[in-house]
Amino acid sequence: MRKFLLGSTAVALFAMSGATSALACDPDYTGVTLSATTQTGPYIASALQLAAKGWEQKTCGKVNVVEFPWSELYPKIVTSLTSGEDTFDVIAFAPAWAPDFTDYLSEMPTAMQSGADWEDIAPVYRESLMVWNGKVLSQTMDGDVHTYTYRIDLFENPDNQKAFKEKYGYDLAPAKTWKQYLDIAEFFQQPDKGVWGTAEAFRRGGQQFWFFFSHAAPYTNHPDHKGSMFFDPDTMDTQINNPGWVRGLEEYIRSSKLAPPNALNFSFGEVNAAFAGGQAAESIGWGDTGVIAADPKQSKVSGNVGSALLPGSDEIWNYKTKKWDKFDHVVESPFMAFGGWQAAVPASSKKQEAAWDYIKYLSSPEVSGQAAITGGTGVNPYRISHTTKIDLWSKLFSEREAKEYLGAQKDSVTAKNVALDMRLPGYFSYTEILEIELSKALAGEVTPQQALDSVAAQWNKLTDEFGRDKQLAAYRASMGLPQK
Amino acid sequence: MTRNDPIKHVFIWPALLIVLVISIFPLIYSLTTSFMSLRLVPPIPPRFVGFGNYAELLQNPRFWHVAWTTSVIAFIAVALQYVIGFAVALALNARVPGEGIFRVGFLLPMLVAPVAVALIARQILNPTMGPLNEFMTVLGFSNLPFLTQTKWAIGAIISVEVWQWTPFVILMLLAGLQTLPDDVYEAAALENASPWQQFWGITFPMMLPISVAVVFIRLIESYKIMDTVFVMTGGGPGISTETLTLFAYQEGFKKFNLGYTSALSFLFLIFITIIGVVYLAILKPYLEKHK
Repeated sequence: MRKFLLGSTAVALFAMSGATSALACDPDYTGVTLSATTQTGPYIASALQLAAKGWEQKTCGKVNVVEFPWSELYPKIVTSLTSGEDTFDVIAFAPAWAPDFTDYLSEMPTAMQSGADWEDIAPVYRESLMVWNGKVLSQTMDGDVHTYTYRIDLFENPDNQKAFKEKYGYDLAPAKTWKQYLDIAEFFQQPDKGVWGTAEAFRRGGQQFWFFFSHAAPYTNHPDHKGSMFFDPDTMDTQINNPGWVRGLEEYIRSSKLAPPNALNFSFGEVNAAFAGGQAAESIGWGDTGVIAADPKQSKVSGNVGSALLPGSDEIWNYKTKKWDKFDHVVESPFMAFGGWQAAVPASSKKQEAAWDYIKYLSSPEVSGQAAITGGTGVNPYRISHTTKIDLWSKLFSEREAKEYLGAQKDSVTAKNVALDMRLPGYFSYTEILEIELSKALAGEVTPQQALDSVAAQWNKLTDEFGRDKQLAAYRASMGLPQK
Repeated sequence: MTRNDPIKHVFIWPALLIVLVISIFPLIYSLTTSFMSLRLVPPIPPRFVGFGNYAELLQNPRFWHVAWTTSVIAFIAVALQYVIGFAVALALNARVPGEGIFRVGFLLPMLVAPVAVALIARQILNPTMGPLNEFMTVLGFSNLPFLTQTKWAIGAIISVEVWQWTPFVILMLLAGLQTLPDDVYEAAALENASPWQQFWGITFPMMLPISVAVVFIRLIESYKIMDTVFVMTGGGPGISTETLTLFAYQEGFKKFNLGYTSALSFLFLIFITIIGVVYLAILKPYLEKHK
C-alpha cells in the first residue's frame, strides 16, 4: 500500500510538473535563442528588452537584444541581409530604411493578420507602413505622428480670449489652420514675460525637416492624388518646390520668428524643454512633448497641457492642374513624421516562427500598451487601444489632458488624409540636401523659393544617380500605390 | 647573436606584419575605396571611378567652404591659445604664491571630454536661459544669437576651443620655460635689460623650438574639430560652421557614401600635410638662426 501511495504520488507529481511545464511554455520554444537587433538604448532597445523578459517566461525561449549605435545599425543590418547570413532573427529599424530591406524580409504569418489584435492596430500602420507591394513585411512597434500641443491656462484666460478676439476677430482656440497657428503665436509673443508664441525644431540635424514637412503637408498632400506630396508618382520628378511647399516653408520661417530667440538651434529636445519650461504658448511635435510637459517633475505647465490635431488647410495645391484647389472645409493632413520603428524577421532567419511569435508578443495590446506609458522606451501609441484606455494614462495626465492627448493621437492616425513620410532608398541623402537649404532659408540667406528650387534640382539629380526607375518603384510602394 | 644571424627574422617579421596589418592595410584599403563609387545607402555595387571622387570633391563648393571654415577656426583658435597660453605660462613660471592651485585649475578644462564641454557651452550660450544672457541683459544686450548667426557661432566655437585647449599650451610652454637657464637672465639683468627686452631677446627665441612644436600639434588637432561643432551648432546655420571632419561624418555616417568619404579623408590628409610643410618651411630660417 505504501509503495502504491508513493508510486501514485510520484506519478501525480510527474504529471503535474509536466502540466506546469506545458502551461509555462506556451508555445514551447525551449532551447530557442533569438537574436534581435536595434539601436543603442534606452529608446526602442528597452522596449525590446522588456518584451524579451515576458516572452522568455511565457515560451521558455531566449532573446538576445544586440544594440548598435544609430550610425552603425543600418550597415550591420544591410550587410547581414544582403549576405544571406542568419545573423539576426528580429530587426527593429527606421521605416525610412524599409525600401532597402524589403527584398530580404519574410512575410508576417497569415494568422497574425487577422483578429481583434490586428484590427486594433491603427489603419495607417496596418495598411500602409507595414505593407510593401501588397505584403505585410513588418510590424509597427512605435507610433510616430506629429500633433499640436497648447497651454490650456493661456488659451482659457478670459483676458487673453477677449484681447485675442478684439485683435483677430475670432475666438482663441486650438489652431485649425496654419494661419490661426501663426496668429496665436504672434498674439502670445511676449518676451518681456518670458513667453514666446511657439516652439519647433529648426536646427540642422535636429529633426528639423520633419517639422517643415508637417507645415507643408496640408498644402501638398492632395486627397485626390495619393502619394503626390513629395514626388510626381508617375515620373518621380520632385514636387518640393511647388507653391504648396513654398507656402509651407514661408510659414515655417514665420514660426521661427515667433519662437524663443535661440530657436534656430532647437532640436526636438529643446522644443520639449521650452514647452515644459513654460516658454511657448503652443508647439508641434511628437507625443513626447505632451508626456514631458504633463510631468510635474519635469514641467512648469503640468495640468495645463492641451493637445489637438495639427492645423490643416482648406486649399491644397494640385500638382496635375498646377492650381490651388479650394475645399469647403478644413482638410486635416496630420503628418506621420518618421513613421514609427518597425520590427521584422529576415527571410534568412532559421527561427522565423519563434521570431514572429516574439514580435506578436512585443506588439500585443497589453505589452505595447505598457511600453507606451513607460518612460524611456520611446514607444508612442500606435494601437487604437493605446488611445482608449484612459486609466492607463492617469499616472501621467489629468483626465482632460489624457482625453485630449489620446484623442489627438487617435484622430491623427485615423485621419482620412493622413500624410505619409517619405521612404526612399538614400533617404538621408535627400534630407541632408533639404536640411542645408532649409537652414539657409531660416537664416535669411536665401528666399524660400530659392531654397526649394535648389533642393528640387539636387533631388532630381540624386534620383537620377540612384536610378529613377528604381526610386520610382520604391516611392510608389512606400505610398501604397500599385507598380506601373 | 650576430648581425647576420637568421634568428633575427623570427623577431622582426611578426612585428612588421602586425604593423602592416594594423596600420598600413586600413590605409591602403581606404585609399582603394577612394577610387571607387561605393555607397551603402542605397546599396549600389562598387565600381572603379579613378579620380572621380577627388574631382567631384574639388569641384564641390561645399568642400572649399568647409575647408575655409575649418582653417578660420583652427588658425584663430590656435593663435589665441598660443598668446594666452604663453602669458599664463610666464605668470605661473614666476612662482606666484599658490602656483600649484592655479596650475591644476588652469589644466582642468583639458581633462573634460569635448562633448561635455560643448554641451556646457551650449547651455551657457543659451540666449534666453543661459547665465551669459543674464549678464549681457544687465549690460543692455539681451538674447544675443550666439549659436544661430554665422559670425557669433564661429566666435562661440573658437572661444570654446580656446577655453579647452589653452591649458595644453600652458602645460607645454611651462615645461619649456622651466628648462631655461637662469644665468642668461642674470647676465641680462646685469646689463639692465628690461623685462620686455628679456622676453623678446631671451625667452621668446629660446622658446621658439618648443613653440613651433606646440603650435604645430594644436594646429593639426584643431583641424580635426568635430564634436564641439556637432553639439553646438550641428554645422549650421546652413553649412556656415561645418568643418571638414563634420562634412566627412555627414557623408560617411548619414549618407554612407564610402568612396566619396574616403577621398575626402585623403584630401584632408593632403591639406593638412601641405599646411604642415608650409608652416615648417616658413619657420625653418628662424629655427636655424636660434639653434
